Amino acid sequence: MAGTLAYFLPSAKLAWDATGQVVSIPSPTPSPASDLSSPSPSPLAQPKDAFTVLLLGSDDDDKFYAEHVLTQSMILVRVVPSTHSVTMLSIPRDLYVPLSTGGTGKIMDAYSYGGAGAAIATVQNDFGVHVNDYIWIGLLGLIKLIDAIGGIDVVTSNPVVDDLYPQDIFSSNPYGYSRVAVLPGPQHLDGIHAMQYVRSRHGDLESDIGRSKRQQQVLIAIRQKAKQVSPGDVPNIAAALGGEIKTNIGLDRVAQLIPLAASFDNPDAINSLTMSSPLIHGGCPGGSLCPNWSAILALVRQYFP
Amino acid sequence: MIARFFLGVGLCALMLVSSFGTYVYVGGRHSKVAAPAEKPTAASPRPTAFRLPGTLYLAQSGAIYSLSVGRFHQLTPEDGWMQPSLSPDGNYIVAVKRNDFYSDVYALGRFGQVVRQVTNNAGRPYDTTSQHWSFYPRLSPDGGTLWMSYDEPKYGYDALFSIWAMPIGGTIRQAKLWTNSNDYTGGDIGPIPLPTGGIMYTKYSYGPDGNRIGQLWITTRPSPYGAEGRALTFPGEDCMEPSLSPDGTQVAMICTYEKQISQLTIASWNGSSLGPRRAVITDQLVAQPAWAPDGSGIAYLAPGTGNGPFQLWFLPKDAYNPPAPSPTPVPTPTPGGPYNGPLPSPTPAPPVAPPVIKPIQITMNSGFDATSPLAWAG
Repeated sequence: MAGTLAYFLPSAKLAWDATGQVVSIPSPTPSPASDLSSPSPSPLAQPKDAFTVLLLGSDDDDKFYAEHVLTQSMILVRVVPSTHSVTMLSIPRDLYVPLSTGGTGKIMDAYSYGGAGAAIATVQNDFGVHVNDYIWIGLLGLIKLIDAIGGIDVVTSNPVVDDLYPQDIFSSNPYGYSRVAVLPGPQHLDGIHAMQYVRSRHGDLESDIGRSKRQQQVLIAIRQKAKQVSPGDVPNIAAALGGEIKTNIGLDRVAQLIPLAASFDNPDAINSLTMSSPLIHGGCPGGSLCPNWSAILALVRQYFP
Repeated sequence: MIARFFLGVGLCALMLVSSFGTYVYVGGRHSKVAAPAEKPTAASPRPTAFRLPGTLYLAQSGAIYSLSVGRFHQLTPEDGWMQPSLSPDGNYIVAVKRNDFYSDVYALGRFGQVVRQVTNNAGRPYDTTSQHWSFYPRLSPDGGTLWMSYDEPKYGYDALFSIWAMPIGGTIRQAKLWTNSNDYTGGDIGPIPLPTGGIMYTKYSYGPDGNRIGQLWITTRPSPYGAEGRALTFPGEDCMEPSLSPDGTQVAMICTYEKQISQLTIASWNGSSLGPRRAVITDQLVAQPAWAPDGSGIAYLAPGTGNGPFQLWFLPKDAYNPPAPSPTPVPTPTPGGPYNGPLPSPTPAPPVAPPVIKPIQITMNSGFDATSPLAWAG
């Protein structure tokens, strides 16, 4: 017992620190979907019920203040345990929306103004979905997570070439540029190269939307690889993620979700959605994307009832 | 009193030992998912159970290895080396050496010694737009021309590969642009010089559904804009990484059908078009198929079990080109003899099911670079 405790103590501490984050959700402001849902949080769903998780990813290098980062990646994930199906919807970071903290702006700003609570409230208010849980992860956290599970197998869709890739990780100058050439085809990616694959957007005609598709690919690959992880790996993974992950999901619920995640083994039951024209179009302030709310909400109602 | 003291000490010692034992036991329950790949030269068991013909060249962790007579040899240090390709006479190798900012093609001896640096893509330090990538080097059948994917021309954010050809003894200034890449796709990669002249390569574009897809293309002359050959596969097949059989009549490739799968696919080849596709491996994530020089099968890279680093596999020829079944012997009535009545009709022999030929896993714990084509010398 003492040996087991000693082995898992570091991971338990990190898990305690990262999980069960208390989220303060601001009062709603009038929004496109304000007539569709109650913004007030409801009790967390039981794992047998369908539930929705908001995944948030941020650049958290030295260019940003720790608590005021932008969410470069926002993915709504709906899990239906009864049908073993998953739907992922990537929300463009530049979508011009009413923010829960007041005013309008790019949706990625919500987190920097009010943390996870503001990001959740903005998504709930604007899209008319109820978010049960959130998970936030930093750049370095994703790299370390993928390395801690031994890398992932991905069929990269095309050569990802970028001459102006931010050199903000493992660099003394976070404002510098690096070069990226992730070659196409099936391959085993470590954390750094997986990050390059999901983060680069300059060589993509769809820019942020294109990389959203790659992010969903990598998420599925992480879930696939995670099935090979055993309890003995937990301390290493927890150590890797220290300080780079936050979630409101409590430890008890994590324990319920792990076997649930392992039972999802049909790739065809994973629905990957992104928002492109006619759901969005350019021309909003500051280079942001204008939402076509009627089309967006129709999509959301279909997949996030 | 003394007995109770020793009992207490004994119990403490027992607790310490059992706690330590539990700690070690639990710590030993790792899944090994994050275990680093072994060098092929340290592979255990040694890959002597199945010997591939000739010499196979492949890359792992920035080093090039050869596999000959069942043994691996490390030819270069772990220093960014990848994508070896043989000269037509088999006397030397061209390969890529890459770092974080650029890559160059080098000519190496068959034992890995650098003979010459062929390209010079370093550019200016801190100016990432002046630096270049060269990948997928291949030599023409006469050995005089180097084909490669090279990221020029560049258009700001639209950095992408095109296919270039240059004299192997020349400089990049003498190179000719052969393909016109589609903007914001990553471009054209992996030229395969054809015996009839021209090249087969993989072109990336946006398919009808808006997703990026790969297609095999053929072109027979340097590309003036708008006239650069034609597609050999359909967009929805999403095919790439072609390999021409030694007799030039078949092409092996991988096709993903725009999913996170990768099927080893074979098609006949008449020099200008591909025949019907035949998927011969559909349950592995196949990469970089390469035909054995003696036609005995196809080597490729794929994860060992589940998700993991890529191992070397070999698919014997009989798996995709099964031998014709031997004819069932039909008894022939022998004239004469003591019996002259009608002969009983022979009972047909039950059909013999052809043996199922499965791929052979050559390595177990390696981690080969699946973006690095295999080179195979006879």
